[in-house]
Amino acid sequence: MAKIEEVKAMVEAGKMRQVPVLVQEALAEGSAAQDILQAMVDSMSVVGDKFSAGEIYVPEMLMSAKAMAKGVDVLKPLMANGSGSSLGTCIIGTVAGDLHDIGKNLVSMMMESAGFAIVDLGVDVPATKWIEAIKDHKNVTLVACSGLLTTTMPALKEAVQTIKGSGLTGFKVIVGGAPVSQQFADEIGADGFAPDAGSAAVKAKELVS
Amino acid sequence: MIIIGEKINGAIPSVARAIAERNSDFIRNLAKIQADAGANFIDVCASTDVNIEVETLRWLIDLVQEVTDTPICIDSPHVQAIVEAIPFCKRPGLINSVSGEGDKIDVIFPLIADTKWEVAALLCDDSGISKTAEKRLEVFSHIMKRAGEFNIAPSRLHIDPLVEMLCTSEDGINMIVGVMKEIKRQYPSVHITGGCSNVSFNLPVRKLVNQAFLVLAMNAGMDSGIIDPTNQDLAGMIFATEALLGQDEYCMEYISAFRDGRFGQKK
Repeated sequence: MAKIEEVKAMVEAGKMRQVPVLVQEALAEGSAAQDILQAMVDSMSVVGDKFSAGEIYVPEMLMSAKAMAKGVDVLKPLMANGSGSSLGTCIIGTVAGDLHDIGKNLVSMMMESAGFAIVDLGVDVPATKWIEAIKDHKNVTLVACSGLLTTTMPALKEAVQTIKGSGLTGFKVIVGGAPVSQQFADEIGADGFAPDAGSAAVKAKELVS
Repeated sequence: MIIIGEKINGAIPSVARAIAERNSDFIRNLAKIQADAGANFIDVCASTDVNIEVETLRWLIDLVQEVTDTPICIDSPHVQAIVEAIPFCKRPGLINSVSGEGDKIDVIFPLIADTKWEVAALLCDDSGISKTAEKRLEVFSHIMKRAGEFNIAPSRLHIDPLVEMLCTSEDGINMIVGVMKEIKRQYPSVHITGGCSNVSFNLPVRKLVNQAFLVLAMNAGMDSGIIDPTNQDLAGMIFATEALLGQDEYCMEYISAFRDGRFGQKK
């Protein structure tokens, strides 16, 4: 089995100690950092599907996310564009009333690897805080709002409309999360939508270039 | 929780029969199912006449070691039988038991001083089992002092504070809980062990009392127990309690044990 496949398997199994080691080995084997990251994102989508299907429990999903984060730590120095990121700054967070961060963290990792400088506001971010963050940071080119619950869809709408109505310019707004669709994104006035972390990074690049 | 599998004991009628008939498969199976259920030690107790105890222990230990690498817990009230059975074990295990009684410590401690053998120590002495926490803790202090003399680290000791039956106890398990807590306060790395079924003696639906005891005892610091590892209710209770006590990050042990079929299986 190629090391990159082992990385995938161990992310799925939530093996925090093995993943960073295997990522190193995959790099040594000649896999590109970007491909390893994508492999881990693919694993996480498998994990996400299993969770949705009720096959695994929250802690198991958390362990997978943590295992992936350990792997990303290994990849970061190889992918980070350091201080001057080429695509500008991305403000990311989960909207008010929603405490989910696994998907948001995955998107954050993918965005970072794509060349954004990341400002992560965490979870349960009220609309006003988004505005503050956009004002407080230089060269914000993208705002990414995550909402994972049907009950927080109104908060997603509020966040996007507050950001859009603030008069601040120079950035695009992208939304995502389990209940979110392209149609919903259009309805609330977001500039973009992506169904998963991998395509979010692709969409983000498209939006800001 | 360190699980000492209790099923190979000549005091159990079916085991006594297997010993009398030299039914090897019966014993091998008991060893295997306990090892598969995650026992950390397999207790081996002959419960025969003294004159055939050592040969019986040898027969039992050999059978266990044929099917599993899980270390042996040599269980005998006779210190000499334990001494003679130690060489039968392929790897260091647990000695069950010493106490403040007679010359048990004098014989066993020097023998295991520079080994990896662990030892269970009961908090009783020549005057018997004391009713008071103070006296039991005195026995404990004596045991720790002697262990220190032979460089036996606290983490190699399993202290059994001797839980008595609930039906005749005047204050439930409060006294023993006090003893457990004090032991852990003095020596955080020492293990506290005990049987989890004596407490329910002479009460109806004993398994409920045993489970409730287990939870309360674990809360007081018990981290080792002589139990039936194949008992799914008890196993589940142990994992659940460890998670509730914050000893199981994200409940992963609980979840993994469930995934491994250690509890919660449809019967």
